[in-house]
Amino acid sequence: MSDTQWPRYEVFQQETPDRPHRHAGSVHAPDAEIALLNGRDVFVRRPECSSLWVAPAGAISRATAEEITGGALEMDSTTGEAVDYLVFAKLDARGMLTHLGQVRATSKVQALQEAARACGPQTPFVLWVVPAAQLTRSEPDQAEPLFAPALDKPYRDQAFYHIQTALRRLRQEAGD
Amino acid sequence: MNPGLRASLADVLLALADDELILAHRDSEWTGHAPILEEDIAFANIALDELGHAGLWYRLVADLRGEDAERYPDRLVFHRPAGAFRNVRLVEQPKGDWAFTVLRQFLFDSAEQVRLKALADHPQASVAHTAAKILTEERYHLRHLQAWVTRLALGTPESGRRMQAALDQLWPLARQLFQPLSGEAILVEAGAWPASSALATQWQAAAMDFLIECGLTIPGQILPDESGRQIHSAHLEPLLSEMQSVARLEPQGEW
Repeated sequence: MSDTQWPRYEVFQQETPDRPHRHAGSVHAPDAEIALLNGRDVFVRRPECSSLWVAPAGAISRATAEEITGGALEMDSTTGEAVDYLVFAKLDARGMLTHLGQVRATSKVQALQEAARACGPQTPFVLWVVPAAQLTRSEPDQAEPLFAPALDKPYRDQAFYHIQTALRRLRQEAGD
Repeated sequence: MNPGLRASLADVLLALADDELILAHRDSEWTGHAPILEEDIAFANIALDELGHAGLWYRLVADLRGEDAERYPDRLVFHRPAGAFRNVRLVEQPKGDWAFTVLRQFLFDSAEQVRLKALADHPQASVAHTAAKILTEERYHLRHLQAWVTRLALGTPESGRRMQAALDQLWPLARQLFQPLSGEAILVEAGAWPASSALATQWQAAAMDFLIECGLTIPGQILPDESGRQIHSAHLEPLLSEMQSVARLEPQGEW
């Protein structure tokens, strides 16, 4: 059976401008623009969001702590032009993949190696590198329509409709 | 603002509120049925936004008519017959296929954006404030809908054909959005409402440019249906009887 799903994109969310982007989850989308819009609708529920990034899942190279320490990254024969990669790492077991910075490398494997080295003595639980050119960012001038605080939309919250209070009262009246 | 102008302002805002409410209901019919999960969530968000916008305008109508801002909107929504609604026939049409839904939403949002921009510097602060607030969300709606219209219109032969069929059906209906509103004339004269005819020109130019860029053909000259907003198609009555069914069961019911 052929796969009728759209390609997957990974979504990275920044809550406030002074914080790093963190992995929020994935969405399906036919292209980056729709991925950005879907990311907004699926993940930006909380009032804080100042920026979203999306990248095609297929463009991301990943490594686990075992792969990094077990030498799985050593066999790198491909070399190409040096390009920038964004580095995301999960530094503790319960943490989220967080944007740490950028490395320049001639291949995905080299990018992972550079990224692992940049993490210092601490081996990350999970490491992702994304070619900078594959990343799509929300435009700062679109931040307001994209991320306007959800706080002034109380009608999106079930509490707005007093249904639970009403149901409780009805149950009490019914002697339940 | 004198009583005559207040009454007229309430009437025109009621028309805007009814447009939002009925469209929100049609949009909500996609919840659980949209083509893909992500779009289901997105479109449910849009439906909720439109419902929220209706609520904002209904509250202003209540204020202008000296009614209770909490209870009066419910009375308007749940206890008016079809003939008392002032929405355009565009928004009451059944949801159709996804192309129809997307194109209707685009036409509505692009028209709303033109109107809201004009209302954002309304002399009545509450109107200006509400328009500015809604406009922020509409900017997002329009971006979302433009993305969909472009992709469907220029996508596959079938999606393009469906979009053109939707446009042929929707274009004449959309023109009703900017037919002068009943009660508008004295407001325009008092500088308290943007003339619909001026907005119509502005909206048509922008919407047509975009649709033509998407490879769609604007339907040729069709005599516009001049009947006003008090006239509805056969589709509004069943929509309302569903939407109002619970409230009608227990008219004195309290939440």
